[in-house]
Formats: sequence, structure tokens, C-alpha cells
Amino acid sequence: METLAVFASVLPEIVLTIAGLILMLVAAYAGDGSARLVSWLSVASLALAAVLLGQLAVHAGGEIFDGLYRADAFAAFAKALIFVAAAVCILVAPRFFDGEGGQRAEYPILILFACIGMAMMVSASDFITLYVGLELNSLAAYVLASFMRRDERSAEAGLKYFVLGALASGILLYGMSLLYGFSGTTNFAGVAQAIGDGLGTGELFGLVFVLSGLAFKISAVPFHMWTPDVYEGAPTPVTAFFASAPKVAALALTTRIAITAFGPGGHSWQQIIIFMALASIVLGAVAAINQPNIKRLLAYSSINNVGFALIGLAAGTAEGVAAVLSYLAIYVVMTIGSFVCVLQMKDKDGRPVETIASLSGLSRTRPGLAAAFAIFMFSLAGIPPLFGFWAKFLVFDAAVAAGLTPLAAIGIAASVIGAFYYLKVIKTIYFDKPAEGFAEERSPIDYGIITLCATVIIIGYFLNPVLGRASAAAAASLF
Amino acid sequence: MVDLSQYLPILLFLAVALGLSSAFVFLPMLVGRLTGSHKPDPEKLSEYECGFPAFEDPRSQFDVRFYLVAILFIIFDLEAAFLFPWSVSLGEIGWAGWTTMMIFIFELVLGLIYAWKKGALDWE
Amino acid sequence: MIQVFAFYLFATIVVASAAMVIFARNPVHSVLWLILAFFNAAGLMVLLSAEFVAMLLVIVYVGAVAVLFLFVVMMLDIDFAQLRAGFVSYFPLGGAIAMVLLVELILGIGAWQAGSLNLAQRTAPLPEATPNIEAIGQLLYTRYIFLFEAAGLILLVAMIGAIVLTHRARGGTRPQNIDKQNRRRPEEAVRNVNQPVGQGVDLGGVEL
Repeated sequence: METLAVFASVLPEIVLTIAGLILMLVAAYAGDGSARLVSWLSVASLALAAVLLGQLAVHAGGEIFDGLYRADAFAAFAKALIFVAAAVCILVAPRFFDGEGGQRAEYPILILFACIGMAMMVSASDFITLYVGLELNSLAAYVLASFMRRDERSAEAGLKYFVLGALASGILLYGMSLLYGFSGTTNFAGVAQAIGDGLGTGELFGLVFVLSGLAFKISAVPFHMWTPDVYEGAPTPVTAFFASAPKVAALALTTRIAITAFGPGGHSWQQIIIFMALASIVLGAVAAINQPNIKRLLAYSSINNVGFALIGLAAGTAEGVAAVLSYLAIYVVMTIGSFVCVLQMKDKDGRPVETIASLSGLSRTRPGLAAAFAIFMFSLAGIPPLFGFWAKFLVFDAAVAAGLTPLAAIGIAASVIGAFYYLKVIKTIYFDKPAEGFAEERSPIDYGIITLCATVIIIGYFLNPVLGRASAAAAASLF
Repeated sequence: MVDLSQYLPILLFLAVALGLSSAFVFLPMLVGRLTGSHKPDPEKLSEYECGFPAFEDPRSQFDVRFYLVAILFIIFDLEAAFLFPWSVSLGEIGWAGWTTMMIFIFELVLGLIYAWKKGALDWE
Repeated sequence: MIQVFAFYLFATIVVASAAMVIFARNPVHSVLWLILAFFNAAGLMVLLSAEFVAMLLVIVYVGAVAVLFLFVVMMLDIDFAQLRAGFVSYFPLGGAIAMVLLVELILGIGAWQAGSLNLAQRTAPLPEATPNIEAIGQLLYTRYIFLFEAAGLILLVAMIGAIVLTHRARGGTRPQNIDKQNRRRPEEAVRNVNQPVGQGVDLGGVEL
């Protein structure tokens, strides 16, 4: 491919890089007073990158940089989700940090750099690209987790995330080096070819270690233990970010690796994915039941949701991959909506509150917020008229079509257990005695995002033709 | 297999250095014992601090600023490490390779400006 | 012959000094043992004719990472005797992790012997005459250009992260401001005073 065309296909990443570098200098010269400006400009550059993505998706190219990178429809779909989620997490942050002694201008910049890393992850078609992208994203994420450095919990979250993340990266690297050693290449297609020739013990171990490392990044059971602690300790906008964008990136990456690099050895990775899916669904549902903290509850909810998305991947068909992508899109809307609702929870002094008990009787003090909360919870539980049901339906449908009926059956049964704790939150909101109300702070941005997310969840079925076509096209580019 | 004979001088150098330095350490000790001047007692072995017994652990806590300096040093050290393969292969990789490295250095120069402006390089 | 000798020399010292890193009572000594281990690992890399990696080990690990470790050790206010007191209670967990690592190692070696090593598709076979530092250079700045720039971004994020997390603006630093010095005019700095006899001089407003 021509040099110009090569650079055209990574234009979104280049735009984000240049924006990140310029804004870094703005932050350095203008200090933290420029935080608002830097935030808005970051959102603008993310929007620009997303628009460029749409342009590219039309004539999406194949492999560039000698097979290190793929700017295909699959990557474009995931990147669009990532950029939008990241932009929302930047938009909602200033109000939160204002209560904590002012926002620092580095927050949006670190998110921009994390986005570049995530874009590399979803576009990677080589293990080295994968690793570099993953590290770029993780390094920014570690800093973001401990962003409020005076807050002990935030610092602890960052440290925990860093130590366990480094361990996971080590496991991943070990698996990658085994795969490289036994196949002689780091390219996904090359690895697929080597596995196709017969899956040796060494390749099998490489595959297992790579999947374990990735399971940590998507927080699938049994590598989920960091999730509740980190989600609870990190500042809420950062938690919203962790639960949305990096999760999309890591799941898309896992999907791409499983299909394009491990595809021929189908059964070997399928078993692992099925186990992780079931374990995540069950543990995510059971462990969340007695959580008093809403952020921990949402952390378990995200573990639970990752399990459902993995069911689609376990099917291993184009239909399954399309279901995973649709699931991710709907999950991002639900999860961002819930976290923006959590951001509204502030006591009279403007300090953030995180207990579920404080939500009691919210329906009487703040009916609008209560309704939005209820919509997101119902949708996360997969109650039929809402969009969250459609997401679950798609993955179960794909699993049944691929002959994994027992898996789908267990998944449906477990989602009933999961529904219990979502309903408990709704019960607290609607039927418990009103607790002390939250501070009345109306922010047009937050309310706009909540309204938008809730609307999408309610009338999402009208979006189905678009979502269905986009996810199908994206999935087709993997096969 | 590698032709290791090119490393023979440095191996010999290391061996000689190791031999000499251990001789400097252990020979006086040996001589001390042989000549009978080796008579340790508790007073002689205690730390000397102006005639008082030592008050505290000599290891005092460092300021966190040292850490920041060390991190910045590692980053620029790594940047310099990338320059070595670049400089020896510049003939083959041509202008494209040259531009690549310039962009890389530019990224980190912007980082340096950021660190400077933030006052991360200020000491007192 | 000399290769075998050098290998066993380096390997023995690496293993021994790695053990000393753990067993040394003084954490500063641990770091010094670690430096010795790095040096000898560099020697092993030379034996593998990976000179560039050997150089990186010396420059980056010995030169920078070990110094960082020293700073960190000095920075932490930890009573190491107290830390060691938990040794027995943590031993089962530590032992379990060590066992897992050992099993992984054995599996790795076993898999290496069992699997079919297929290096035919090596994407970049090393030309015989090229030193490996040159071979790395030829790939790193051309084929891997995108990843190389991304690596630059990783370093940049590390820098921003370190500053965001550890730097706090402190008063009392008086950096030289050359621009301000040059802009200063005699009128601002010098003042003529018609000083009456027997009274003090009012220096108010004059920056000394």
C-alpha cells in the first residue's frame, strides 16, 4: 500500500496523538486552570477521530505496516465505541473533581493517550502491536486509578491495579513468547497457520497463558479479583472509564485473537472461554448480592456482563462475534448511564456518597434520577422491553445456533440470579423510607447524558437495523 | 557459536581486577591475624559518633523527589538506548529511518518541556 | 572450552547473587546483589551473541533501574525486621507461588522438548554477517515504525504519570528567570534619595 494510504488508515490515532501532545503543552503552560479548556478540546479531538473513523470504515483497508496493524470494520466499530465512551468520561469529570479540590488538566490528556493504546489493541494483528497498545493503555490507567493522590483509597486502587496488572502483563508476555517460540512468528495469521498444522503442547500452553493474561484485562473470572477494589477506590469518572472503554478494547482484542490467531484450534480456546463465561456470570451474580457499595455492585455487574459477552465469543461464529459487538455497544450505554447516575449521588456538603442505602426513597426526592436509575438497572438485568434484553438475546441466540444450548440455558438461569440484586437496588429506590436526600446540583451535561442513555435503552430497537448491519459488517471482517 | 575470542581481553581484565581487589580486601585481614594485631573488643567494634553511642539508624528516609528524578532519568536513558541501533543502521534505513527517530525524539522533547514547565526539574 | 567456562561462571554468579538478593538482611545490599545479577545476565546475553540486549541490561538495568530501586528502598520508611517477622505466616502463600512458577518452568521446558519447533516461518531471519544491533536497527525504524512511535508515547505517559503522582508545587523554589533579569531596567533597581542627616533609610518597595 502506498505510504499516504497507510497513514490515512491510522489517521484517527495520529489525530489523537497530536491532540494529546498539544494539550499536554497547554496543560504545562496554562496550569490546572486550563482543565476545562483541555477537557473540551480533548472531547473535540475524540469526536474528530470518530468522524475520521466513519470516513475510513467506508473503504476500510486490510493489513498495514507489514501485517502489524489492521484498520478494518471490526476495529472501526470497537474504536467508535471506545472514543465515545472516553469522551463521555471526560465530560462528566469536572463536576466530580470540583468537589475534590479542582480538576487537574492531565486527566483528559491521560485518557487521550489511553485511547491511542486501546485503538492499537483493537487494531492489532500482531502480538507486538497488541502488547505495546496494551501497555500504553494500562500505564495511563494505573495513573488514572490513583489520580486523587491525597485520597488513600484512590492510591491503594492504583497500586493494586498496577501490581496485578503487571503480573497479568507478565503472564501474557510469557504466553506470547511461547507462541512465538513454537510458531516462529508473532503475526496472528502466522500463529493461526502454525496452530492449523497441529496444536503442539507448547502452542497450547502459549494459548492458555495469553488467554489468562487477557482474562485479567477484561476481568473475567478467575482473574477478576482486582475489579471490585479498583472500581471502588478509583475516582468515579475513572471507574466509569474503566468499566466502559478499556473493557470494550480488551474484549474486542480477545475476540480478534481467538478468531484470527487461535481460530483453527477452535476447541481448545472454546473450552476456556466457556468456562470463563459461566464462572463470570455466576460469580458476578452471586457475589454482588450483599454489596453495600454501589460502585462495588457495578463492578460485579461488569464481571457478570463480561461473562454474557463471552458466551457470544464461545459460539465462535460470525453471528457470535456480531452478538459480542452489539452486546458491547449496549453494555457501554447502560454502564455509562449508571455511572453518571452514581455521580449525582452527593450529600449536602457535596461529598460523593457510595452506599446503596443512601438511595432509599430516591423516587420521592429525585423522581427523574430514580427513574433513570431504574431503567439502567432493569436493562442490566435484561428485563424484556429494554435494550439490555436484546443484547442478551443476541448472544444466547448465537450460542444456540452454534450448538451450545446447555451454555445458553445455564446463562439464562444465572441471569435470573443476577436480576435479584438489580431489583434490590430498584426496591431500595422506590419502596424504602426516604433517606437524607442528595444535594440538588443540576448539571445540563450530566442530565443530558443520562437522558440520552436512558432514551437509547428504551427505544433502542429502532436502532437495530443500524446496529445489526454495523456489527455484522464488523464481524465479517474477521472471517 | 559465538566467536568469544574477541571478548578475551575483557575477561582477562575482569579476572585480574577480581584477583587484585580481593587481594586488597583479604590480604590486610590475613596479615592482621598473622601478626597478632587482631584483637576485637565491643568498644572497638561500635560505631564512632563523637564519642556517643549511635542514636539512630544511619539510613534516613529519602525525599520522594529523588524518585521523580530517577524516573525521568530512566525515561531519557531508554530514549538514548534506542539511539544506538539507529545510529549504526542509519546507512540502510535512510531518510525514513531518520524521520522516525526525529519524531520519537520530538515526542520526548515535548515531554521534557512539560516536565520543565511543571517544575519537576526544580530542586530548591 | 572458554565458552563453557564463561557460561558456568556467569550462570553460577547470576543464580547465587539472585539468591543473595532475597537472603540479604539489609535491603541496600539486596539492591547491590541485584546489580551483580544484572551484570552477569549481561554476560550470558553476550554468550548468546545478543550484544544489544547485553548493552541494554548494563545501561538501563544497572545504570537506571537499580538506581531507582535504591531510591525507592531509601524512600520507604519500613522496619525490615518487622517485615521479616511475617515470614512464617506468609510462607505457605509464597511457597505456593514459587511452586506455580516452578511448574510453569518445567512445563515450558517439557513443552519445548515435546513440541515441534517450527522456525521455518521466521519473519526476520538474521543475516550472518550483520551484527544484531544493526539488524535490530534495520527493522525497528522501518517495519516497526508505528510501534516505535507508540513506545515513545509509552515513555511520555510514564513521564506524565510520574509527575502527576509525585510532583507537588512547593513554595520557596527560586529558579532563575533570565528573561525577567534582562528586562529589568536601572530605573526599577536604583533610587536616588536625598537623605537627611541622622535618620534611617526607608527601603520599602525595593527588591533586594
